[in-house]
Amino acid sequence: MSRSADIHTGNLLDAITARLQNGDAADPLLAQAEDLPDDVEEFVNIIQSLHTSLTPLNPGQEYADSLRADLLAGQPGVVRRVRQMPARVHVAAIMALFAGCVLFMLRRLFGSETAQDVAEEAVATPL
Amino acid sequence: MKRPFSRRIDFKELDDRDLVALAKEDKAAFGELYERYLPKIYSYVYYRTGNVHDAEDLTAKVFFRALSHISDYVEKGVPFQAWLYRIAHNLVANWHRDQSRRKIIALDEYVVHSLKSEAPDRLAEELEERHQLLEAVRRLPEDRQQLLLLKFVERMSNGEIGVIMGRTEGAIKSLYHRTLLALRDEMGVIQKGELKRRLGGVEG
Repeated sequence: MSRSADIHTGNLLDAITARLQNGDAADPLLAQAEDLPDDVEEFVNIIQSLHTSLTPLNPGQEYADSLRADLLAGQPGVVRRVRQMPARVHVAAIMALFAGCVLFMLRRLFGSETAQDVAEEAVATPL
Repeated sequence: MKRPFSRRIDFKELDDRDLVALAKEDKAAFGELYERYLPKIYSYVYYRTGNVHDAEDLTAKVFFRALSHISDYVEKGVPFQAWLYRIAHNLVANWHRDQSRRKIIALDEYVVHSLKSEAPDRLAEELEERHQLLEAVRRLPEDRQQLLLLKFVERMSNGEIGVIMGRTEGAIKSLYHRTLLALRDEMGVIQKGELKRRLGGVEG
């Protein structure tokens, strides 16, 4: 494709996009255009698909409100800070929590027994 | 004594330039900028990451970064909106770099939602077409994805896109043409792959 033909096609596709985005049909533009490229129909279909598929989205209201509150407070909330931490930090935190629970259970099991032993020993041993 | 001109400012009436000037001192002014640009930045980040969780995290980072640097921001040919998009673009680029794998844009949930009202027999076909299109978009180089999102999701003109991407209007038009050519090729590859997969399924 020559450079001028390339520019012509580029301008045409740009104009077609603008028309579709304004809710107008591309046909009148195609009817007026001279030297239409053979594959223009194919591009019109792609542009139409992009127009219908890539549409604006809105975040959830709860998220929007909480982020706004955090921004105005000047720092991310605890939940957001935790979420933004790398995955390895999450894994380390879960492992630390698990280890803590195990330690706590062990202390309860064996620690209480030891305390009872000490108490019994104290009673059994006369002053 | 009350100052004669002290009155509550209606931020909604102000343009971006005035709001940015106020936001350097007043977080409530930044709140108005946030309201204006949250859906735009969220949409942009969502289409670039493909999932709600990362879109929410990165959107939050964009606004926190903007808030922390707004006192240094000086409008030198780059409007606030373009500045915000550049922050978003850089954070998304870093995010992609951090991800060892490239994720498939998981827009199915959204697409299904948007097609709920349509006839059920058309649903599967439309879903498949959109899935292929979005997959083709995802395969494009970063700058071309950015161009398509700014053009179709944000409905920006070539001039506005040029400011954000640091290119001339003519360069954007030319890039758009090349992007459509590349997108057509990518869709062809995806459709061929899909056909092969189905035929393989039938034979198997």
